[in-house]
Amino acid sequence: MKHRKQRRTLEGQENTLGWVFSAPALFAILIIVLIPLLRSFAQSFQQLDLARPAGNGWIGLGNYFALLKDQRFLNSLWITVRFSLISVLLELLLGLSIALLLNNNFKGRGFVRGLMILPWAMPSIVNAAMWKWIFNADYGALNAFLTQVGLMSAYKVWLSDPFWANALLIMANVWKEAPFTAIMLLAALQTIPTHLYEAGRVDGANGWQRFSRITLPLLMPVMLMVSTLQLIWGFQTFELITVITGGGPFSSTEMVALRVYATTFRSLSFGYGSAMAYLVFLVILIPVIFYTRESYKRIIDY
Amino acid sequence: MRKIFAIVFCFVLVLSACAVPAATPAPAEPTKAVEQPAQPAAGGSITVIFPKHEADIKGAYEARIRQFEKESGITVNLIQSDWDSVANRVTPELATKGSAYDVVEFDNGWIAQWCGAGWTQPLDEYLPVDYSKGMIPGLVNLFSCPDGKVHGVVWNNDTRFFYYNAAKLEQAGFAQPPATWDELVSQSKEAIGKGVIKFGMAPSWNQEWSLGNEFHFWTYVFGGNLVDDKGCVVLDKDPNTLKAVQFMMDVLKDGTADPAGLTYNQAASQDIFLKGDSLFLPQGIAGLFSYVKDPAISKVQDQIKTGLVPATASGTSAALTLPEAYAIPIGSKNKEAAAKFIVYMTSKETNKYLAEQIGVLPIWTDLFSDPDLTGLYPYWKDFQAQLSTARGLSKITWYSDFVDLTNAELHKALAGGQTAQEALDNMAKQLAKFNCVP
Repeated sequence: MKHRKQRRTLEGQENTLGWVFSAPALFAILIIVLIPLLRSFAQSFQQLDLARPAGNGWIGLGNYFALLKDQRFLNSLWITVRFSLISVLLELLLGLSIALLLNNNFKGRGFVRGLMILPWAMPSIVNAAMWKWIFNADYGALNAFLTQVGLMSAYKVWLSDPFWANALLIMANVWKEAPFTAIMLLAALQTIPTHLYEAGRVDGANGWQRFSRITLPLLMPVMLMVSTLQLIWGFQTFELITVITGGGPFSSTEMVALRVYATTFRSLSFGYGSAMAYLVFLVILIPVIFYTRESYKRIIDY
Repeated sequence: MRKIFAIVFCFVLVLSACAVPAATPAPAEPTKAVEQPAQPAAGGSITVIFPKHEADIKGAYEARIRQFEKESGITVNLIQSDWDSVANRVTPELATKGSAYDVVEFDNGWIAQWCGAGWTQPLDEYLPVDYSKGMIPGLVNLFSCPDGKVHGVVWNNDTRFFYYNAAKLEQAGFAQPPATWDELVSQSKEAIGKGVIKFGMAPSWNQEWSLGNEFHFWTYVFGGNLVDDKGCVVLDKDPNTLKAVQFMMDVLKDGTADPAGLTYNQAASQDIFLKGDSLFLPQGIAGLFSYVKDPAISKVQDQIKTGLVPATASGTSAALTLPEAYAIPIGSKNKEAAAKFIVYMTSKETNKYLAEQIGVLPIWTDLFSDPDLTGLYPYWKDFQAQLSTARGLSKITWYSDFVDLTNAELHKALAGGQTAQEALDNMAKQLAKFNCVP
C-alpha cells in the first residue's frame, strides 16, 4: 500500500515535471501558431476584402460555398493533389532504391551518403532557380543535353507546354525531396535484425521474397510516416512553382499555395483566402487521420 | 489523455502546414534584396522600400540615399528588391494601415485603388510651395487623387521605347527601322531567313504581373482599349484589341517572336536583345544604353539605335508609360522625415545626378534640354516624339484582379490553347463582377 502511494507520488511528480518542461514550447505554439490559426479560421467566415472594405462582414459559410463553385480554385486543388501524389510515389520508389543501395557495404559509402543529402539541404529557392535555368528554352542544359545526344532535333519550350511543365516540376521536386525519404528508409533498414534474413535464406526464400516478406513490412511504418510528411510538404510547394512557372502556362501549374497567396496578398481578399486554406486543410486531414490511427494501432499492438 | 493530446498536436501541425502563408515576398527571380539595418541618428530614421531601378547597375540610387543621410542626419533603412517582391510587401502593409514603412513604392497601376482606399498621406502640406512646378505636368497629375491632392511624387519616369539592332538590320538589307508592324514582321523574316538573327523579338510573355503591361502595350499600339473611363470592360467588344491579341499569337506561330518568350520576364527578354539574338526590343527601358555599353552584359555595343514604336497601317504610334512614385503610408510615424526624403530624391539636382550616372529619364522638363545631359544622351531627342504618345495602365481600383484574371486567359491564347476572341470573351466573363466599377 505504502509502495503504491509512493509510486503514484513519483508518477505525479514526473507528470508535473513533464508539463513544466513542455510549457515554454506549448506557450510558443499557443501564441505563434494557435492564436493566428483561430483568428484566420474566424476570418474564413467573413467577407474580409481590404481593398474593398464596404462589403466586409460575417457571411457564415458563404466563402466555402463559393469555393466549391470556384473553377480556378478547384483546378488548383486538383493540380496540387496530382502533383503531391505523383511526387510521393516517385520519392518513395527512388528513396527506397537509394536506401537499399546505400545499405550495402562499399568503398566510399559514407561519402556518397553525405553527398546524397545535398539536394534536400539546398534552400528551396536555390533549387527552383537552378531548375529554371536548366529548363530555359534557349540556353538551358536540358535542351542542350537532349539535342547533343540526338534525342531531339531542335530546342523545345518545355515550360510553355502544360504537360511538360507539370512533369518537370514534379521532377525538380522529387530530385529535392527523395534524399529525405532515402535517409529515413536507410535508418529504418539498419534497424531490421539480420537474423530475419538469415532465417529466410535457411527457409529457401529468394531475394524478392526476403524483400517483400521481411523488408517491406518492417519498413511500412516509416514509409507511411514519410509519405504523410511528403504529402503535406507537396501541398505546401510554393517557391518551386513561383520561380519556375509562376503558375503558368495559363494556370496549368497553379498550385493551391500560390492560389491562396495571390487571393490573400495580391487581391487582399483575406476572408476568401483563409477559407481556401482551411478547405485545403480538410483535404490533407484525411490521410493524416488515417496515418495517426494506423500509428496508434501499431503502438497498441507492440 | 495522451491520445487526445497527440491528436490535438497533429491537428495543429496539419493546420499550420495549410494555413495562409506569412506575408513574405514571392520572388519571381532570386534577386538580391538590399536591406540595411537601421542605425540610431540625431535626425531619426525612416524605412524606405522601392524596387531597384532596371538601369541602376551602379547602385546610383543607394549612393544618393547615403548622401541624403549625411546631409539630413536622417538614417534610411533601405529595402530594395525586384518589383514583385516589393509589391507583395507593400500592398498588404498599406491595406492593414501598418507602420512598417515610411516611404513606399507607389506604382501607376495602384493609383485608383490607393486613392479610393485612403492608404496614403496627401503630400501637399509636406512639400515646399510650388514644389512640382517645373516637373512634367502629366506625371504630377497622375499621382493626384480625386481629393485634388498630390499623393505621390514620381521617382521613375519609366516610359518604354522601341530599340532595334541597326547593324544586323543593315546586314539583312534594311536601312531604316519598320514604320508598321507588318514591316517589322517582314524585316524579321528576311533577317531570320538570311541567318543574320535568331528572332525578330523575344517577348516577355511569362504569366506574371508584367504580362498585364504587355497586354496594355499591344492593345494601345493597335489602337484598342481594355477598359473605358468609367471602368467598364470593353476588351471583348473592341476589334482593335482583338487584332492586338491575334498579332501576338501570330508572331509566336510564324517564328517572328521567340516562342520561349512565353516563359520570359522583362529581364530575360532584354538579355536576349543585348546578346544580339533578337532584332527588335519593342518595350525597352529608357536607360538601356547603360547596359548596351557595358561589355560584361552586352554583345551589341554600337549596334543599337532607337526609333518610334511601329504603328498599324492606319494608326499612329503609341508607347506605354509606367511611372513610379514615392508615397507616405497613412500609418507612417515619421511623415516629416519621409517627406524630406521624397523632396531630396525627386529634386532637380538628384534627378540630374541619376540621369548622368545611369541614364534615367528626367522628371523635370528643362533637364531634357540640359546641355550636360543631351551631350551624354543625344538619343533623347528621339525619345521626345515618343513621349507625346505615351499612355498609362488602366486606372481602376481592381487592377490587381484585372491582371490576375486576364493573364491566364491571354497566356492560354498565346500558347495556342484558345482563339483570341475566346480569350477576350473569357476575360470579360470573369471580369463581369468588376464591370463599370471605377
